[in-house]
Amino acid sequence: MKAGLYPKIAADGIRKNGRLYIPYFITCILMVALFYIMHLLGFSGMLKNFEGASTARDMLKFGTYIMAVFGTIFLFYTQSTLVKGRLKEFGLYSVLGMNRRNLGRIIFFETAISWFIAMAGGLIAGVGLSKLAELGFSRLIAVDVNYSFNLSVSSIVATVIVYSFIFFLIFLNAVRRVRSASTINLIHADKAGEKPPKANWVVGILGFVILASGYYIAIKIQQPLSALIWFFIAVILTIVGTYLVLIAGSVLFCRILQKNKKYYYKTNHFVSVSSMAYRMKRNGASLASICILLTMILVMISSTSALYINREETLMNHYPRHLNAYALNYGYDKGYTELAEKLKNGIDERTKEYGASAKNETYFINYSLSGYYENSYLNLDINPLDNFTTIDYDKVVQVFFFDVDTYNRLTGENESLSERKVLAVVDGKVDVGDELKIGKETFSVVKKTDNTKSQLRNTVSTNVVSTIYVIVDDLDKVAELYKDYMDPTGGPMLAWYWIYDFDIDLDAEHQIELGEKLNKFMHDELSAKRFVNYCDSREMQRNDFVKTFGGLFFLGILLSIIFLVSCVLIIYYKQISEGFEDQSRFGIMQKVGMTKENIKKSINSQMLTVFLIPIVVACMHLAAVLPIIHKLLLLFGHNNMPLLLRCAGVCVLICGIFYAVIYKFTSNAYYKIVS
Amino acid sequence: MSLLEVTGLQKIYKGRRGGTSVEALKNVNFTVEKGEYVAIMGESGSGKTTLLNILAALDKATSGTVLLDGMNLSTIKESAIAMFRRDNLGYVFQDFNLLDTFTLEDNIYLPLVLAGKRHQDMSARLSQIAPSLGITDILKKYPYEVSGGQKQRAAVARALITSPKMILADEPTGALDSKSSDELLELFSKVNQMGQTILMVTHSTKAASHASRVMFIKDGIIFHQIYKGSSTDTQMYQKISDTLNLLAQGGDLK
Repeated sequence: MKAGLYPKIAADGIRKNGRLYIPYFITCILMVALFYIMHLLGFSGMLKNFEGASTARDMLKFGTYIMAVFGTIFLFYTQSTLVKGRLKEFGLYSVLGMNRRNLGRIIFFETAISWFIAMAGGLIAGVGLSKLAELGFSRLIAVDVNYSFNLSVSSIVATVIVYSFIFFLIFLNAVRRVRSASTINLIHADKAGEKPPKANWVVGILGFVILASGYYIAIKIQQPLSALIWFFIAVILTIVGTYLVLIAGSVLFCRILQKNKKYYYKTNHFVSVSSMAYRMKRNGASLASICILLTMILVMISSTSALYINREETLMNHYPRHLNAYALNYGYDKGYTELAEKLKNGIDERTKEYGASAKNETYFINYSLSGYYENSYLNLDINPLDNFTTIDYDKVVQVFFFDVDTYNRLTGENESLSERKVLAVVDGKVDVGDELKIGKETFSVVKKTDNTKSQLRNTVSTNVVSTIYVIVDDLDKVAELYKDYMDPTGGPMLAWYWIYDFDIDLDAEHQIELGEKLNKFMHDELSAKRFVNYCDSREMQRNDFVKTFGGLFFLGILLSIIFLVSCVLIIYYKQISEGFEDQSRFGIMQKVGMTKENIKKSINSQMLTVFLIPIVVACMHLAAVLPIIHKLLLLFGHNNMPLLLRCAGVCVLICGIFYAVIYKFTSNAYYKIVS
Repeated sequence: MSLLEVTGLQKIYKGRRGGTSVEALKNVNFTVEKGEYVAIMGESGSGKTTLLNILAALDKATSGTVLLDGMNLSTIKESAIAMFRRDNLGYVFQDFNLLDTFTLEDNIYLPLVLAGKRHQDMSARLSQIAPSLGITDILKKYPYEVSGGQKQRAAVARALITSPKMILADEPTGALDSKSSDELLELFSKVNQMGQTILMVTHSTKAASHASRVMFIKDGIIFHQIYKGSSTDTQMYQKISDTLNLLAQGGDLK
């Protein structure tokens, strides 16, 4: 046979089945582009300038792996529907004298063509989209982009390797299907009665259990420090659970419905329930894929929009005053009190020199310790970072010591305390008894309050772990008690904080200028002593916040659009392929006496159920991960649950509307095919 | 009044864009009495499937009338046709037309479910007819799990379960082996003896020899018909093959 024959047959086959192949190619291209962009964001250094960028990057890296697995599952699914439609053609070739090896060659060329189109199209789309995103981003945010989407060779290579492998698997699968069937089976492949799936109790229940445990973890997590690892675990469990539940669990569910004779033998339920049971096993995969894409969209948009919208408040939390000076050192030194005075006076002098006057000052010194807290005992010997995986992160607690004068000054209370008698202000889920043991020392708690006064919270910006503010009569005496505790690296455990925040009667430009001056002063004073120190002006930081959160929001939108398009394609694909499948089935039913009305109703009920499933499950997923998202947002300094809920609500609404529109369009396509 | 009265039936298939049109049925006239078992024979292209499709209201005649129990098929509204078919006719197809998403039992229930019957009524009716069809043991199976003969018996059950005025069968033995064919024909005879009217289209002489009357259709008209009367199946078989021979030789029997 001529050498050019096989490629020609392959190309013809693709051209003639354009209605099925075009969406398949678009899907492939999008999958490849998506993988490239996520890899680019996750693995190249372009996100390094972000605050919280490491978190975002870890997420994207993780997302890249998910995309690879997801792409494999999804392309496998679409390809197998494609091959099924072509088996008859292969059967005919076989009758005309082609052997299995020849057929394998045709499949090889078909896969190769698909691979080439997917790779070329996907990479061009990926590079193009990322460039477009860069332009759009800088326009939208209207500030300099502190990163750029460069062409990344390593991302291209990774994409090519991963997707070549996926296509290779697809090729093997197609060859397997053609080889395992005899010629006559091939010819009748499209007519062969297919075995309806059995309800698989084990897999179905396993799916529910896995899903439930994913949810449990997501809801259970209290502390954002531990959240990231557990978040990934929860995500994986949820994804696996979703697939199992939708593939096996839904068949199970339909079978249960079928057992209920009163329900099942109703005109409206009879046809839809049975055909759902029949195809759920295969289409469960696509439903689960839609569901996961929707969940990703919902999660990304609601979290990044919440971050972006809340940026001003986050900024205020980070920088409660116009100028915020901060110094930190470890250990205890008698000279600290003197140093503190010197710093404060230095700042006051320079402010005055600049011709400005400070107001709303918040000034204080405190000491801090953290450890493992259980039953009113803070164990300082366990290092949380050391036992990262075994420790229960919810029990890591940070203790701040304030002296009572500072406390009174900050809160306007009038408390007085004596030695070893303390006041405990609790922030987070911590119980404090009448006695509080910190390390080897025991204090008796004379009064406990919740930290409802924002005054204290603002003093120390920590939302990451639970906090106990311990108010003592003499700060130095207490510090002396703990000066010998060492952390595992050998440094002192006790941390000394010096904080001086104030507002100033200057315009933004001058605030920034003064901030820089003061920053320099603090560096000169403290850098030699290896103190962590800065003086930040809120105005200066505002830009960074806009860039950071705007950037994340934009990325969220970008990825969501791509996800959404993939979603649309999956839905379209599903409808078309099912339409062709159902054509003859509805024909038979009409002959048996099904009216057009019945058909319409049955299609509607079936499609509505099938299409509601992903979005309902996606909303459930979203609800389950919202607590964890809230915790993760704390890492970015975002603490506004109501806003997050609102964003999520709006997101669900928009997604729902969009989804309904897609549904309407594609169901029309379906109806046209079957009737 | 006859159960079925067909007068002056004509069907013309128009070619696309004024291409040559084909006259599948020219002028068909016949009646079927209640309780009759009629076979319509003819070669491929003789118009017998077209006729059956019109009788089943699956297709519309170009002219002429079909009266089923006094009802004129052409006056039934498009939207009511499916319902009419469901309530009055049982259809048995050559290729069974069972839905692979349903068990045999559910396939049989389908017309009743569509008619909105209660499950108790359905299962009561099925338990009446299932034993005589010999499908009691396979009701829970899916079509792909059973043989062609069993599938066809399930299809007959589906046609019978609505207690239709008439059963229309289109080459019911066409996809069956000889043993299954014999069984199915026995079944038809049995059902007919219980009073069920059957109209069957076939080109199997053997199938037709079971009928009480055989009509021959050729070039779109009823060409000839023979009554079984008191003759046995074998004698009927002989009569039919003689007729077919004559027809094949182009003889004119009219």
